[in-house]
Amino acid sequence: MKKSEKRLFILSLAVAMLFAMPTSTSAMHIMEGYLPMGHAIAWGALCLPFLVAGFISIRKTISQHRKTLLILAMAGAYAFVLSALKIPSVTGSSSHPTGTGLGAILFGPAAMSVIGIIVLLFQALLLAHGGLTTLGANTFSMAIAGPFLSYGIYRLCRKLKVNKSVAVFLATCLGDLFTYCVTSVQLGFAHPAAEGGVMASIQTFMGIFAVTQIPLAIVEGLLSVVVILALESYASNELSELAYSNY
Amino acid sequence: MILLDKLAYSSPIRKHSPALKSLFSVGSLLICAGFRQTFVCLLILCVMVIATLHFTNVSFRRYLHFMLGPFVFLCLSSVAILFFFSSSPQELVCIPLFSKYLCISQESFTHWYELMAVAFSSVSCLYFLILTTPITDLLTVLRRLHCPWLLLELMLLIYRAIFILLDIADAIQISQNCRLGNRTFRSKLSCMGQMLSVLLVRSLKKSSFLYDAMESRLYDGKIQVLEESYPAKPSEWIICILWLILCSGLCLIFF
Repeated sequence: MKKSEKRLFILSLAVAMLFAMPTSTSAMHIMEGYLPMGHAIAWGALCLPFLVAGFISIRKTISQHRKTLLILAMAGAYAFVLSALKIPSVTGSSSHPTGTGLGAILFGPAAMSVIGIIVLLFQALLLAHGGLTTLGANTFSMAIAGPFLSYGIYRLCRKLKVNKSVAVFLATCLGDLFTYCVTSVQLGFAHPAAEGGVMASIQTFMGIFAVTQIPLAIVEGLLSVVVILALESYASNELSELAYSNY
Repeated sequence: MILLDKLAYSSPIRKHSPALKSLFSVGSLLICAGFRQTFVCLLILCVMVIATLHFTNVSFRRYLHFMLGPFVFLCLSSVAILFFFSSSPQELVCIPLFSKYLCISQESFTHWYELMAVAFSSVSCLYFLILTTPITDLLTVLRRLHCPWLLLELMLLIYRAIFILLDIADAIQISQNCRLGNRTFRSKLSCMGQMLSVLLVRSLKKSSFLYDAMESRLYDGKIQVLEESYPAKPSEWIICILWLILCSGLCLIFF
């Protein structure tokens, strides 16, 4: 069987499973206990430089404008609420957005990494999405990799004078997809396939999760465009307080 | 608003030392995820299920429902771990497909059920912590562990703000439904988008009001609250530590 056929088969298997399940899909939080301890610690360590940089930048801004702390807190709560709400989905099962792409565009990626780890901790403790041991891996994929890519794409599109709606759509949608790719890589490294090793495993994880994640990414992209357009049209005052106004 | 949070506040052992509860659940969690011994994981799973059902107001049915929370992730990822393509037939299950075989081998099956044991026991440890200890109590534990104050401050503020925003979001969604919103995919998308943008505007306004209110009460960047302390009995500490030693000992024996 060719590679493409193999992928097609895995995809169809996943579609079949998806429709058989009534429960709601969350964004791709790696479940508690799913990663070996070594991997969990390594991913956590990889997050540290980003978190420290974000932490220092936040502390610096706060020493000048104390109000920023409250705005950041509201931003964190907003990101949490975004991920706790059910967004309309095409397949009929409800799903939760990650919301980090939109957050990165509005509040900047450095602040988003610190807010992200707090939001992920709350998601684990209040919604039981993700977990404490996998917090590092989840932070890397959702609060660092995704937002930084979203922010980069958004800046690039603005530089190239691409239409703002298109820029927002591309940034959030690709940021979401990147998050899912990173998570697949994390899972692939932790659980290599019996035949073909890490690469085969990563491919399988990507193929399977594509079913839930690709529609989710598209819907989230559309949603972010609606949000940004609505904000621009009647909340330009509020937007000027955020990192969004700087570019 | 959030079911798990409500249950944590109404837990019968809510007024017990949060440090003890955290040590018990996080310690067991680390043993599960660190040693990954199937037998010890199953032991921890049983103890955690019994402890959770005994010390919280959660019925068994509801607990089962909670345990199936990460179900989608579990199902999808088990497919990747359990099945694989092979050029030669394997011992357990084998479905010939095109020119290859879709197989479950002894090895992949063992890996799968060991992973399930670790994952479910870890989740049960997490649920014990979530269902007995509210976030504010956990923050006092983190404060005692010398977590940076800025993080603690942000966590406290975010935790408070979550409920305010969820309330607003809920109210907006109800009024949208009253006005025949959320009917088709297209209207769902626009309703959700409008709601989220209004939510952001409202939340920024709220934070501005909050800042004014706190500034007028001499806020200097730190919110000082009196902590309620619930000291645990020495015997409870000893039982908890003995349990952790027993589990790690068993892990080392089976290793």
